[in-house]
Amino acid sequence: MESGGSLNRREFLTLTGTGIAGLVIGGVVGRELFPKEAPPAPGPTPAAPAAEAPAGEESPYKAGYNLVYDPYLCTGCLSCATACAEKWAAELHPEETKDVVNLEFSRIRPMRFQYVDVVNMCHYCQLEAWAEGTDEFPCQFVCPEDAIITVPEGEGKPGFYGMGYKWVDQDKCLGVDKCWRCAEICEDQFGSGISYDPISKKAQVCTRCGGDPECVKACPNGALQWVPQLKNGRYFAQSPTAAAELLYRKMYNVRRTL
Amino acid sequence: MAELKGMTGKIARVDLTSGTVTVIEPEEEVYRKYLGGSALGLYFLMKEGIASPDIHPLSPENLFQVMIGPITGAGPNARSVTVTKSAYNFISIATSGGHAASELKFAGWDGIQVVGKAEKPVYIAVMDDVIEIRDASHVWGKSIEEGEMILKSEVTAELETREAMIRDADLTPEWAALRPPKREGLGKKRLAHVWMIGPAGENQVWFANVMTEGARAHGRYGPGAIMGSKNLKAIVVRGTKGHRLADKANFMRLVKEIQQSELGNYAMRTLGTTNIGSRANLIENGYPVRNWQYTGWADPHIKAIDGVFMDMTSYVRKQACPNCFIHCLMTVEVTSEDPMMDGILTDMPDWEAMGQVGGNLGYFEMPGATPADPFTGTHVDEAENLAKLQFTTFLFDNYGMDFIEGGALLAMLMELRQRELITPEDLDGIDLQWGDVHAVEAIVKKLVYREGIGDVLAKGAWETAKYFAEKKGKPEIMKYPQTGRRYGQPAHGTRGEDKDALEYVTVSRPCEHTGGGGAGFMQGDYAAAIAGQNNKCATDSLVACSFGSGHMAGKVVDLVKAATGWTDFTEEDLFNVGARQYAMARLFDIHTQQLKDPKEEWDKLVPDRWFDDPIPFGIHKGETAYDGDRKKLFDEALPAYWRERGWTEDKGIPKIETLKALGLPDEVVKIAEQHL
Repeated sequence: MESGGSLNRREFLTLTGTGIAGLVIGGVVGRELFPKEAPPAPGPTPAAPAAEAPAGEESPYKAGYNLVYDPYLCTGCLSCATACAEKWAAELHPEETKDVVNLEFSRIRPMRFQYVDVVNMCHYCQLEAWAEGTDEFPCQFVCPEDAIITVPEGEGKPGFYGMGYKWVDQDKCLGVDKCWRCAEICEDQFGSGISYDPISKKAQVCTRCGGDPECVKACPNGALQWVPQLKNGRYFAQSPTAAAELLYRKMYNVRRTL
Repeated sequence: MAELKGMTGKIARVDLTSGTVTVIEPEEEVYRKYLGGSALGLYFLMKEGIASPDIHPLSPENLFQVMIGPITGAGPNARSVTVTKSAYNFISIATSGGHAASELKFAGWDGIQVVGKAEKPVYIAVMDDVIEIRDASHVWGKSIEEGEMILKSEVTAELETREAMIRDADLTPEWAALRPPKREGLGKKRLAHVWMIGPAGENQVWFANVMTEGARAHGRYGPGAIMGSKNLKAIVVRGTKGHRLADKANFMRLVKEIQQSELGNYAMRTLGTTNIGSRANLIENGYPVRNWQYTGWADPHIKAIDGVFMDMTSYVRKQACPNCFIHCLMTVEVTSEDPMMDGILTDMPDWEAMGQVGGNLGYFEMPGATPADPFTGTHVDEAENLAKLQFTTFLFDNYGMDFIEGGALLAMLMELRQRELITPEDLDGIDLQWGDVHAVEAIVKKLVYREGIGDVLAKGAWETAKYFAEKKGKPEIMKYPQTGRRYGQPAHGTRGEDKDALEYVTVSRPCEHTGGGGAGFMQGDYAAAIAGQNNKCATDSLVACSFGSGHMAGKVVDLVKAATGWTDFTEEDLFNVGARQYAMARLFDIHTQQLKDPKEEWDKLVPDRWFDDPIPFGIHKGETAYDGDRKKLFDEALPAYWRERGWTEDKGIPKIETLKALGLPDEVVKIAEQHL
């Protein structure tokens, strides 16, 4: 296994080729992309792939919604991370994680600074193509393997129909030992929303749980909210230290360089 | 060895003299007897002979430990505990909340033990299995506020610092042209957590803390001084391995139930321990005011002494420990007309500081007034008075030292000044008058940096009183240190309706206020009191939190079982963890001080004020501890308590059969034999 970022050119091309070949949109892809032994998802049956709820009920799936947090209400208790980590550990590595709670599986990363907590998460950049040169997610754009895809609304994993969501193809992602471009572009120009799976070393990207995020349900303080998308996600995204520096200014009128 | 669950089965042993790190793997039986945290730390102190009088607390031979327990990690209300021999030459066990505790479990360790002494300032960096001893000269001398943030940025995964891969060709032309990449890779994450000492610990102030997250403290009995004596500035932890549990589903279900229960704890969730203020003042008569000359204020209009008013002036947000829904810490930005205090960032403060460096220093009265007088100021005056308390709390946190012992020291000096037993010249020209926050700031600086008289004050209230009693030829000065067993009495009185004096006399750590068993002591039911004390030791060994323990009631054994897989673990096993800790702590204190008559030389070292000065006003006016009769406390209640514990009634030495029944090691039995 090669270390660092010195990816062999031929290997790179080969992998890219398979990546493109694999990129077929639709329900068929779902079978290839999603783990074969995935437990049945709770909620509506796969036969009802719409965000529309029966009359009189509110659908938990909300297309076009986004995840925001209130830095005053967040207490840094880590419940969101525990809920996320437990969900994805069970989903992707049920056998290896049956007796372990590991927050590294979490896509949402609360970070404790002194007196401020930054909840670091993917903001689902909704980019304007005229300004950015693309309307793809930056992580998706820079991925040399097309391993990060957007599953369109109404398709994909059972129970995940309510919104277009991001997904990492475990077979295509090169893993952090060879490549880490998705996380770098995020950190350099956007937020810090990408982490990696401690077992497979593949990238982890928030799927919004397909429209009904576990983290929001786990928050005891209403600090995490699932709300109609207000803006281009780029405007929410900050690196963790930048966010913390801004919060020190806002909350305490203190200027700190972290 | 079979793989342990709950615990990791590994303790890191760092020798700073040789610069080596080794791994200790205790037998499962040891974990079953001591769980982790305080009891396990104490076990190692006894096993390794640290109780010996030949081991000076500030010498390289002393053993410093940060310990966690089987439920620390994914469990509720995670805390860590430091265990070592205190500079005061008695046992030092101190707990703190904060994320570092869980992080240590995630890194794969049940504790870190430090012996020896580094030649130059160092810190210990823990990144999962890799433990490095690193240079700390760039943070030596730095305060908690500054130093912690620097160290947080230095312990990262290899990935977070490696060179960036993205090239311009990977970007859209717009991104490459308009927003050139910073090539920072992932260096902007701050995932590590830090335990560190401030200048007080570096200068070996006897009551220096080990701090984390700015305002959380292993706050009593001076663990920071021991770190300082080893030239150890900090331990920085980053863990990615998670918490392994025997029955994860059941464990997480219990955690959720406990959290749901915590959601109903309105008082703590809104005000933290500041909700105690009005009750302590008006109902218990247990608010320390002016070195306990008073236990509250005659005018009920003084409102800055309670959290409700504090929230109005300064609370910004709430902060929790891992997996805790109580979130008892509220962050504060101080607003004041005084530029020294304006804009200071601290926590609320907690109840102990409200008493010890608030009421105790005379901050809440208008100039010239006493606590018996009507309050003539406005709400803005109250806010300014409160700012003095918050600023003083900040000083103690940021230098990293205990405001309970420190408050007892400052209040004693102020009372000695009030009674003209000392003069400003005795304090290098500083005139310590009640309520003078600038004088407090000046004396605290001297103390932290041990300049002039500060070198004496750094040894705490009791030693300072002894120094002045001798220097001034006035033995009556010894009436004024409000200390139990030579350490500062916390903000809970013994004369009103708060605590029974026996609780302070028997608790395993000198004059500790969180020892448990309070109701049992108040009712004279010593079996119940002992059960409460033992339960608290188990909490400190798990390591969980007193504030969460009510919500954990009835679930603790199940939590331990679910974490460890010890299906035959019982309430009695839990109880015995505490019984072992009490027996070991008692013998540790007696042996290291070589006490011949522990009752006379040690247990009776409590403030005269408890017995001799009746409460001046309030619902408990005229009351004293044990009706002012020391004999009732020391010759009736104390021996009865010792009997209940299976200790001798004359000296309070654990009997050999008691020790053997508890399965304590030979090292402990041998020490007992020397003192029986």
